[in-house]
Amino acid sequence: MNAVVFALLIPLIITFIAPFFSPKRATIVSFLAFIVPFFVTLWALLTGYEFELPLMNLGKPIGEFYLFADPISNAFGATICLISAMVALYSLPYMKHRFEEMRDEIDDVTREFRKYFFLYNLYAVSMLWLVYSGNLILLYIFLEISLLASFLLIYKYGYGNRQWVALLYFVWTHIAGVLTLIGFLMVAFENSTLALKGITTVSFLAWLLIFLGMIVKLPGLGPHIWLPWAHAEAPTPVSALLSPLTVGLAGYVLLRVYMVSPWFINEFRDIIIAYGIITSLYAGFSVFRQTDYKRLLAYSTVSQMGYMLIALCLGSYGLLGVIIQYVSHAFGKSILFMTAGGIIALYHGLRDVNKMGGLHEYIPTISNAALIGFMNLSGILAIGMFGEFFILKGIVDVYGLNLKLIVAVVAVFIISGWYSFYTLRKIFYGTPKDMERPKVSRFLDTPLYVIGIISIVFIFPPLATLFLKSLKLCVLGGVMP
Amino acid sequence: MIDVATLLFLLFATPVACSLPIAFAWVYRPGADWARKLPILSVFGLFVSLCIAIYILLYFPDGVFEYPWLPDYNINFVFVFDYLSKYMGALTAFIAFLIGVYGLEYMKHDYRLGWYWFFFNMFTASMLLVVYSDNLLMLLIGWEGLGLASWGLIGHWFRDDDELAYVGVIGRKVGPLKMFWSPSFGGWRAISTIRFGDMPMFFAIAAIYALTGTLNISEIDWGHLFHHIGLVGTLILMIAFLMGPFTKSAQLPFSEWLMTAMTGPTTVSALLHSATMVAAGTYLFMRLSLYIEPWKLHHTPGVEQLYFFVLFLGLISALYGASVALGCRERKVLLAASTMSSLGLMFACAAASFWLGKIAIYVAFWYLITHAFAKATLFLVAGHLIHATHDRFCCGNLELAKKMKVAFLATIFATLCLSGIPPFTAYWVKSAMDYVMHHLMHEVGGAPLYLLIAVSVIYSAFLAKFLSLNFIKGDKPKHLHLHGEILMPLAYAVMVSMLALLLYAILTGREVEELVRNGLEMFVEKGFEKTSLAVGLAVLISYAITLAIPKLESPIGRFLGDRMYMPALNDYIVPKIGWAIAKAVDWCNKVIDVFCHQAIPELISTYSLGVRAIQSGSLRRYVKIALGFVMVALIFASLVGW
Repeated sequence: MNAVVFALLIPLIITFIAPFFSPKRATIVSFLAFIVPFFVTLWALLTGYEFELPLMNLGKPIGEFYLFADPISNAFGATICLISAMVALYSLPYMKHRFEEMRDEIDDVTREFRKYFFLYNLYAVSMLWLVYSGNLILLYIFLEISLLASFLLIYKYGYGNRQWVALLYFVWTHIAGVLTLIGFLMVAFENSTLALKGITTVSFLAWLLIFLGMIVKLPGLGPHIWLPWAHAEAPTPVSALLSPLTVGLAGYVLLRVYMVSPWFINEFRDIIIAYGIITSLYAGFSVFRQTDYKRLLAYSTVSQMGYMLIALCLGSYGLLGVIIQYVSHAFGKSILFMTAGGIIALYHGLRDVNKMGGLHEYIPTISNAALIGFMNLSGILAIGMFGEFFILKGIVDVYGLNLKLIVAVVAVFIISGWYSFYTLRKIFYGTPKDMERPKVSRFLDTPLYVIGIISIVFIFPPLATLFLKSLKLCVLGGVMP
Repeated sequence: MIDVATLLFLLFATPVACSLPIAFAWVYRPGADWARKLPILSVFGLFVSLCIAIYILLYFPDGVFEYPWLPDYNINFVFVFDYLSKYMGALTAFIAFLIGVYGLEYMKHDYRLGWYWFFFNMFTASMLLVVYSDNLLMLLIGWEGLGLASWGLIGHWFRDDDELAYVGVIGRKVGPLKMFWSPSFGGWRAISTIRFGDMPMFFAIAAIYALTGTLNISEIDWGHLFHHIGLVGTLILMIAFLMGPFTKSAQLPFSEWLMTAMTGPTTVSALLHSATMVAAGTYLFMRLSLYIEPWKLHHTPGVEQLYFFVLFLGLISALYGASVALGCRERKVLLAASTMSSLGLMFACAAASFWLGKIAIYVAFWYLITHAFAKATLFLVAGHLIHATHDRFCCGNLELAKKMKVAFLATIFATLCLSGIPPFTAYWVKSAMDYVMHHLMHEVGGAPLYLLIAVSVIYSAFLAKFLSLNFIKGDKPKHLHLHGEILMPLAYAVMVSMLALLLYAILTGREVEELVRNGLEMFVEKGFEKTSLAVGLAVLISYAITLAIPKLESPIGRFLGDRMYMPALNDYIVPKIGWAIAKAVDWCNKVIDVFCHQAIPELISTYSLGVRAIQSGSLRRYVKIALGFVMVALIFASLVGW
């Protein structure tokens, strides 16, 4: 046993203990349960620490269940821990407000908090374990747990027609899940194992099914239609995990399968990259017309996930791009969803962008946090910069100076910046509307800054140096460019 | 003795760190009395930067300094110290400090000091980073910092409730175009335009890295790179790269953002939008050219076309900017247009290095320095005037001039120095520029020289107009409140005196070893050539005429004053296209949504209802259905002939 495994066990145990505490204590305990593993995984990430822990052997065709960590898992894991810890803090004031709103439907707030924290921690911890699982079936199990937990959270505490939205979410993600599962099973029969280290080949059909499943989940253009519903109508702390963490995990799965057997992506590179670019541009343009702040953010998620698809097609440096893009998007989007939630909590469910304007006057801390969030999305002075850099480098590596592709990808980046600052202006600047200056709970803004500061610190040494060093050793095998 | 790394760290970190107290204070206690004293700390941070920059200028040997950043990728913090960066760094830090002092008084009663000082100081740090960096990725961090600071400061008065903070006459419309812009809009336009250039530039940086494996400007073998990627590749790469400088320096057709950037506080206009930030684009072009050494690459495909393009883009932008300034009545917008014009000249002059060698770059750089001091002075005066008269438009007469003697004298000296009237500062620099353009006669033709002369003549005309309309022949100001300012006049007095210092340096250039080494002792020599004297005379005449007749109502004037309707591009054409796409996309979303979430469920429930209707339990019905299937089977069998 090693430190990382211990760190992973903490939130798992806390998931079952936290419900027994009072809401306030449960918040703190959940926060600690994720912040401790954050530091451990961050340490593991920066030092390039790797391990493998066998759990059990299920024989053919499932193969060995084991946990493993390499800098890729640690990068995803550390991000998940940080966001989950910060959102846990944020949950307290937010869910208090939400339960207040729902007082006709619930009788005991403390009881609801118990349920909430159980589901929340279960949801977060299943994602965390997902990135450390070394067997595709194990990975699938965690994927399903996270889906169930998030489904229940939306079903119970969502907005609008929440049961309908929850079902919609459930159906779509299960289409994704089933396709992927069939793909995994085909892999199992081809290789007689599903342990990542044992898989040698992935046939066309298996790859196609996994790819299509993950495209539904990621989501790509077409299936993307489920995402704005689910992410906008979920209770905001759940949106702040769904959008930054969960959907991006589809990218993680594709990345892992790619590292085992890259032929599919390489073979259909042109189609996939075109699809990624179109998804990204399409969703980027969709953002401009949204009037609901959370829906707007949801479309921006679709656009950002397009980046991941693009990056996946761009060779080894593209893979670095995938990882960094996941991290940077997670940082940025969690901040932004929390700002949306802050406005909802402080202004009695205000979500309509057209009714906002000049909000900087009343809630400067949230407005400044939103600025950092959008900086992350557009890759200005935040870790996303490296993501964009490696994607652009990947283009030249793989395609050379291909003018059409360059223009398309540059347009994708430009659009992200445009909708970011357009939205900022629309919501926070301009003549202030007639509103009151509310008292902002420190839990509603401080967590946003913690994430924001980390995202900025990550572009400077020593964090950047160590982070990119271990990623490079892992992805490129330490060869000089 | 502290080492170089610490010194450089302090250079960038002190201004930012010193602005944090006020930034935080303003979040929690906006407007508190003790918080209003904290800006002094911010200015102190700027002062520390200035000291370090001067130390670097005086005592650092030329060369590079490296600090590990991403050593595994061969990307490091690399600082370069050469003629260009040392002087540019000192200039930036000096002007930033001086304007910081001015800002103490100018922004005294502002409602958002935390924001202002944080971005002001962050800007200074970013600008210094751009100036000293040899590594392109590190430069990009500074570059993005510039863009962000510019956005933050232009939109500083985000409430959009102060008439003084607008650009254009509020409520005025020309056709479908609204000809007035608010601060929050100015900020958004600035960042959106800059983004449009920064991303191609970012691509070019990544491409250079992918192709050469290094990002240090001084290390890259440019000639080899250009040969390797050929004509089309070179043009794609370099134009993508120069999109950054072109948008940042507001060259055509990206000029509009600079005009609406005048919605920011005047200190911001003075520092960012005239003296330093917008000049960063031209500075970067000079730095690149210095290492690309285009004069050695006459046989490399693409290089000549590139420099030809930049030459004419610069000259045409210069002409456009000067003409617009001539028609402009708003104090700051006039100066902004003239800034754009000067930047165009810098680009053009630096681009001439392809034919002329290094010297053209140094001439452009000297023009940058002269322009920075003179334009910053004029902006600071304009800010003081706006403060005193509560009017954005040019107004003021000799009575005002008597009350604001320092401002009056500073304006006279700055306009004389900048317009190129012999024997003042810019005359010598412009003479050298005349010489540079004259030299292109054989290779490019006479156009550059004639354009330069036209620009110079118009340039001096609108400077004289600025002087005349604000201090001599303008309307009597409606309100006039002088608050006994001390720091503001002090700041521009010091600023304008720098022009005298430059003049001194030029006139005694033969003795200054550094100038001689770079061939800059030629300023005086070129100033006494016949062409230069003739141009100087033309400039003087145009200055004198405009001084006497500053106002001339005409449709052409209005056309120029409306910036030749360039706003149509930013306010009408591009948004129209964008919104059309957004609408189409939105419509597609609706169709997919209805199809997936209503049509398919509907279809399935209809089908389910139908299937359930069959299961009625009546035997008759089941027999009928069974018989039906048998018949279908029989028909099918007979059809296939079985």
